[in-house]
Amino acid sequence: MKKSQFTGYLFASPWVITFLVFWLFPLLFSLYLGFTDYRLLKPTWNWVGFDNFGALFSDGEFLDSLKNTFIFVVGTIPFTTAIALFFALLLNKNFPGRTLFRSAYFMPSITSMIVIALIFTNLYSRGGYIYLLADMIGLSPPDNGFLLSNKTALYSVMAMDIWMSVGYYMLLFLAGLKSIPEELYEAADVAGAGRIRKFVSITLPLLKPVALFIIVINTIKSFQVFVEIFVMTKGRYGTSTALYFIYDTGLSRFEFGYASAAAYILFLIIAVFSIAQFGLLKQRGMR
Amino acid sequence: MSCSGEKKQEQEQIASGPVTLEWWQFWTDPAIKPTIQQIVADYEAANPNVKINLTDLTWANGHEKIVVAFSSGKAPDIIELGSDWVAEFSSSGQLADITADVVADSAAFHGWSAGIWGDKIYAHPWILGTRIIFVNRELLRKSGLGEDYIPLNWDELKTACYTIDSLGENYHGFGSNAAEKHRLYKKFLPFVWAADGDIVSRNGKYAVFASDQVYRAMKMYKELNDSCSLVDTQRRLEDAFLAGKVGVIISGDWLLKRIRNENIELDFVTSFIPGPKYPGKSFAGGEYLAVSESSKNKAEALKFIKHVTSAENQLLFCKANYSANPSNKAATEDDFFKSDINLMTFVKQMNMSQMVPATPEWVYVEDIIERALEEILFNDAPIAETLNEANLEIKELLFKE
Repeated sequence: MKKSQFTGYLFASPWVITFLVFWLFPLLFSLYLGFTDYRLLKPTWNWVGFDNFGALFSDGEFLDSLKNTFIFVVGTIPFTTAIALFFALLLNKNFPGRTLFRSAYFMPSITSMIVIALIFTNLYSRGGYIYLLADMIGLSPPDNGFLLSNKTALYSVMAMDIWMSVGYYMLLFLAGLKSIPEELYEAADVAGAGRIRKFVSITLPLLKPVALFIIVINTIKSFQVFVEIFVMTKGRYGTSTALYFIYDTGLSRFEFGYASAAAYILFLIIAVFSIAQFGLLKQRGMR
Repeated sequence: MSCSGEKKQEQEQIASGPVTLEWWQFWTDPAIKPTIQQIVADYEAANPNVKINLTDLTWANGHEKIVVAFSSGKAPDIIELGSDWVAEFSSSGQLADITADVVADSAAFHGWSAGIWGDKIYAHPWILGTRIIFVNRELLRKSGLGEDYIPLNWDELKTACYTIDSLGENYHGFGSNAAEKHRLYKKFLPFVWAADGDIVSRNGKYAVFASDQVYRAMKMYKELNDSCSLVDTQRRLEDAFLAGKVGVIISGDWLLKRIRNENIELDFVTSFIPGPKYPGKSFAGGEYLAVSESSKNKAEALKFIKHVTSAENQLLFCKANYSANPSNKAATEDDFFKSDINLMTFVKQMNMSQMVPATPEWVYVEDIIERALEEILFNDAPIAETLNEANLEIKELLFKE
C-alpha cells in the first residue's frame, strides 16, 4: 500500500469506524434480533424465523399504528407542500417587512419539537386558545379538548405538524424560485401570458425538482413521526404511530425481537416509497 | 441481638475489609433528598466499615436503567422498585430471595403482596401509597347539600357529583381521568374492588374481568364520567379542584403536600373511596427495596434495608415528605399522623386498599385494561362486549397453555 493511500485510510478511519460500530453493526444486529424472541430480561433467546413478522401482521395494535402513520403521511404532506409553496410565492415579492415574515414563518422549524408540542397541548386543551377560538366560531370542539378525543386527536397533531414544517419547506421553495431565470417571465410577458399561465407553465415545472425533493424528505420524516405523539398523547386516543409502537414495544416492554421486526417493516415501507420517489426523479432527469 | 454479639459482628466486619453498597433510589426532590442522605449517614456512622453510594433515578427513565443494569449484570446491591415492577424482576431471577430474613418481621409491615413472587419474598415494602377522595366543601354548601354531605357510598357519590355539576357550566361534579397511561386504571380499579370484582380470581387461576361485578363498576364509573365530570389529565384535574371548579376527585397524598406547600386556601375534606356500600376499597401501590441477586454483599444490603424501613426512619421520611403511608405499622402510631385528620384518612384507607396482582405480565394487563377503558369511556363501546374481549386477552396472556 502506498504511503498516500495509507494516509487517506487513516484520515477516513474515524468516520468509517464510527459508521461500522454505531450504525452498520446495530442495523444488522437489529435485523438479526427481528428473527428472534429476544427480551431484555430473558437470559436466552431463540431463533423464531419469520414468526415476529407474521405476528405483527395480525397484531391489531401494530396495524392500527401503521394505519395512523399512513393517515399522518397522506394528511400532512400535500398540505405542508401546498402551504409552503403559497407562502414562498407571497414572500418572493418585494414588500416592506418581508424579512420579518420570512423569519416568523421559519421560526417554528428551529424551535424544539418538545417545546412546540407542550405549547400546543395547552392550546388544544379545554380552555386553551385554540379550543376557545373553535368554540367561538361555532365549531363545537370536543368536550374534553382536541387531544382527548379519538375523533380529533390525530388530526390535531397533524395540524400542528403542518404549522411547524411549513417554514422550512417554504425556504426551500424560495431558494427554488430564486433559481428560475427572470428572462423566462419577461419572455412570457412579451408573449402576453397572464399570472396563472406563467405560474402553470414556468414556475411549477421549474420548481418540480424542489417539490419532489420536499416530498421525499417530508415522506421519510412523516413516516417517522414520534416526538409529537410521545409528548402530546402517549399514543392514546387513536394516535399511536408505527414508530411509537416500536418505542413502546422495545423500550417500555423490552421486547427487542418483536420491536426490531416492526422497525424493519417500517424501514421497508419507507425504502419502497423513497425508491419510488427517487425513481420518479430519475425518470424525469431531475437528479 | 446481645451487646457482645453486636460487637463480635462489628469486629468480623472490620476484619473482612470495607464494604461498599450501591443504592439506586428515586427520591430526588430537594425536600426529601437530605433526609435520605441523613438516613445513609446515620447508617455509615453506626457501621464504620460500610460505605453507601447513592445513585438517583427518575421516574421518566428509571425503569429502563434498572432493566439495562440487570441485563448487563451490573445491578446495584440495593434497588428501589415500584410495586408493579417487583414481579417482573423477581420472576426473571434478578432479585435475591429474602424470605428467611424478613418473614419473622412480616406482621409489622403493610404491603407484602407486591413483594412476593411464587411463595418467596423478594422485596421489602418501604413507603406505600393509596388513593382517597378529596371533596370541596364550599361546593357542597353552594349546591345546597350542606358541607357535611360527605359521600360514603356510590349513591351518595352520584348525588354529590350531580348536584355540584348542576351549579353551572363552570363547575363539575367529578374529576375523571383522561386516557393517561399508567394512571387511568388506578382510578377505575377501586370501583371494581369495591364492587367485589377483580382481574384474576383469588386462586390466581382464572381471568374474571368480565364478571357482573366489574360490569357494575364500569357502569357506575362511566355514568360519572359521562354525566357530571371534567375529563382531563391528573395534573389538570388537580389544578381544577384546587381552583374550586370540581366537587370530588380521587388523588393521593401528593395533593395534600401541594396544598400545604403552595399555601392553597381551599375548604376541602378527605374521605374513603366510596363503594356500592360503605366502606369501599382503594388502590394501593408503593416503593419497595430489594437486593440484587448478583450482589456480593447481600447480608449487609439487607441489614441496610432494615435500617431504612425501621419505624424511626420511615417516620423521619414521612415527616420530611409529608407522606401518609409508611409500610411500618409502628410508624403510623405516631402523633404526626394522629394529629392530622387528612393523613389519618390515608392511613385508615390503606387497610381498605388492594394491590394489583403480582405478575411479570402486569405491564400488558394494565395496557389491556386501559385500552378497554378508553374504548368504553371515550368511544362509547358496549360495556359487556368490551370487558369480555379484555377478559379473553387477559386469559390468553396469563393462562395460555
